[in-house]
Amino acid sequence: MDPTLYLALHRAHYRSLCQLPMFQLTATPASALADEPVHIRVTGLPPWQMVTLTASLKDEKGYVYQSKAFYKANEVGELDLMEAPSIGGDYVGVHPMGLFWSLKPKKVFRRLTKQDVMNSPFYVTLNLYDSVHVQVSTTDQPRASQTVERWFSGPGVQRVQIREGRVRGALFLPPGEGPFPGIVDLFGGRGGLTEFRASLLATHGFAVLALAYFLYEDLPKELEEIDLEYFEEAANWLLAHPKIQKPGIGVISVSKGVEIALAMACFTKQVVATICINGPNAIYEFPLRYKDLVITPIPSFMERVQIDVLGAMRLRYYKGDARDELNQKSVLPIEKAQGAILFIVGDGDECLNSREYAEQALDQLRSHGRNNGRMLVYPGAGHLIEPPYTPLCYASPHSLSSGILLWGGDPVAHAAAQEHSWGEIQKFFREHLTQTRSKL
Amino acid sequence: MIQLTATPASTLTDEPVHIRATGLRPSQIVIFQATLEDEKGNLFHSQAYYKTSEVGEVDLDHAPSLGGDYIGVHPMGLFWSLKPEKFLTKLMKRDVMTSPFLVQIKLYDSNLPLAQIAATDPKVSVTLERWYRAPGVTRIQVQEGHLRGALFLPPGEGRFPGVIDLFADIGGLIEYRASLLASHGFAALALAYCDYEDLPLHPEKIELEYFEEAVNFLLRHPKVLGPGIGIVSISKGAEIGLSMAIHLKQVTATVLINGPNFVFSTPQVYRGQISQPLSFSPQLVSINALGLAQFQYCFEEARSKASETFFFPIEKAQGHFLFIVGEDDKSINSKAYAEQATEQLRRNGKDNWTLLSYPGAGHMLEPPYSPLCCASKLSKLHLFMQWGGEVTLHAAAQEHSWKEIQKFLRKHLIPVVTSQL
Repeated sequence: MDPTLYLALHRAHYRSLCQLPMFQLTATPASALADEPVHIRVTGLPPWQMVTLTASLKDEKGYVYQSKAFYKANEVGELDLMEAPSIGGDYVGVHPMGLFWSLKPKKVFRRLTKQDVMNSPFYVTLNLYDSVHVQVSTTDQPRASQTVERWFSGPGVQRVQIREGRVRGALFLPPGEGPFPGIVDLFGGRGGLTEFRASLLATHGFAVLALAYFLYEDLPKELEEIDLEYFEEAANWLLAHPKIQKPGIGVISVSKGVEIALAMACFTKQVVATICINGPNAIYEFPLRYKDLVITPIPSFMERVQIDVLGAMRLRYYKGDARDELNQKSVLPIEKAQGAILFIVGDGDECLNSREYAEQALDQLRSHGRNNGRMLVYPGAGHLIEPPYTPLCYASPHSLSSGILLWGGDPVAHAAAQEHSWGEIQKFFREHLTQTRSKL
Repeated sequence: MIQLTATPASTLTDEPVHIRATGLRPSQIVIFQATLEDEKGNLFHSQAYYKTSEVGEVDLDHAPSLGGDYIGVHPMGLFWSLKPEKFLTKLMKRDVMTSPFLVQIKLYDSNLPLAQIAATDPKVSVTLERWYRAPGVTRIQVQEGHLRGALFLPPGEGRFPGVIDLFADIGGLIEYRASLLASHGFAALALAYCDYEDLPLHPEKIELEYFEEAVNFLLRHPKVLGPGIGIVSISKGAEIGLSMAIHLKQVTATVLINGPNFVFSTPQVYRGQISQPLSFSPQLVSINALGLAQFQYCFEEARSKASETFFFPIEKAQGHFLFIVGEDDKSINSKAYAEQATEQLRRNGKDNWTLLSYPGAGHMLEPPYSPLCCASKLSKLHLFMQWGGEVTLHAAAQEHSWKEIQKFLRKHLIPVVTSQL
């Protein structure tokens, strides 16, 4: 079946309906933090008119991301994305921010990440077309258009490049004197320095050290072992900072970063609140070293890789079983962890069996009479749970291995998980980091 | 000494191959990889990890794959899980007569990560030929009257049951199914109807008289057994096939693969009577996480409101039907359409049909061992159209349905000689 014919036929039909000029598209606020919602409304349409709304964005490398949805105006020719359902396109149903989180790269498998989080926003252009355009061609003119700015830091947030001792990263400070609750932000196996989560958290009142640990500046190019003393040095440095609350800090981590965060919580007393997003409760791939202690990794089973229909690799079944008796020496002794631990789990994670790891960790806590752990499980969410409205990256190349890795996630469920978990993350840190202050 | 055997080394592409390795270390992980280069130079690969037995052997007929492009016991998994290096390239044989596809099977005797396989030499490899026609099958270019296509005849004397092979309206002439049918004893006419030789690029209407001409052409042919003709058709081709079965009484056996029970896109016309298409609602398209578009429900709005006259009067057909449905078809709502058509037959007291519904199979049901193409770039649009299908289930559906198609055609096209006592 070739739908080109239909599209030509129907486009001609709808065009003849639209002689009216004044369509208005408003998106408010026009400039906002990237984790804040935008209210999109259209007025001045013919009653019951089918329209296409598109969003597009160009990232700092020049890659274009796009999304579209088809809506029907109401009887007075208005459309309010807070109430109207999308009939089709990149999402279906009432999703006021759907155009943002369903943005897709034109070049497949690219992952959208803001590099410069201080000086420039992402510009998202919203376009309105007066009929159904399954594919917008370069000759199609939008009937209305607005560009919104999506910022990754708020006014007054400061970014300080950190090169103290061995520590490499960037510290984000909220405006004001402080002191502020301190957080170390750890990403996973992609290496380098990912800053956007730290800068957003700083905008919400936390002092956040986005900490690199390999493939950044003079840090090792490859990860060969986890040297926990490096992370302890970073934690100590943060706690010694005049604008950071004492006596304890929080850690937020994802994927490989979770192994490090949990190890910090278990072995160092500086960490009093730990958030673990889709990561293991045991050491994998590389040994972890802390002073005299060496934890060897649980082996992976290369032969258990699964290649999905598009050629992306599912690693979910790849790692050895953390519940296997033979692997217990590699499981982190979470019962030794101080402070509170929150596991955030995407049940649709195709990279790791995140739920299993969180459940085992909580079982371990319970069996030692501890109740300082909690889990939030999001059905349908994938591996890369990030701040709200971040487009779902379903699969992308990964620096630790060549080939495309499958992260998973159902777009709607994943978006909802990002929205909900972000609120929970901030609540958790406020509760567990501010409390330490009140104990003083 | 490590030995890799794959037999037979030269086969029809719809026949299985037995792959075995011996002389390896016991209980060791090894990798089998298959590589194929198509006629345009596109490379396709598949790989699977196996564990050798205590005597250092792997027999793909019995051993389960532990990981890779498929898992479990799948003797032909390396073939149907082939994936293109270039995203979403479809594997399609154009020259079906003079050359086979060459498939190289390679064995690596260590547990390498996938990423390293390309840079490593295999321990041992064999090359297989996969042919789209059996020896002795002949191909005759057809340019009779208005007809454009290619007739494939089995070898030997005598007459063969005649079949018309119809693909979707993507244009050109797709020959590989007809050449395979001829290899199994059918006189198969691969019939083009748009964008081929002097046929129009985008016909404004489908004239059933053209297809009637094809039926008569076949029946007139000295090597075609009558009195009935069969049809094997998919998608838009199945829409035409269904119409042919209704209007042309010489059509006695019709295979409808993932087709509609109404006209879509181009209207049909027969003896002045026009069958209008159901209107397409492009706004009902659903785009998945990777940007692949699913058009499956784009006729639902029109279907729910359409009067009976839009649906084919299938009860008027005199021959037999075999409906083949991929339940995971993401391009058209095949299961619903087939169910509606068979319900209509039932209501009219007809029992001249069989429905084979395959869970997990997609739109592009092809002869066995064809790799699943789950989406394709649409010619003029910058969109990927999803066909659907889960790799392993789709492969099983292809294997099963191909046998059923041949059984069905033989049953209804070859008269049974009964001795009268």
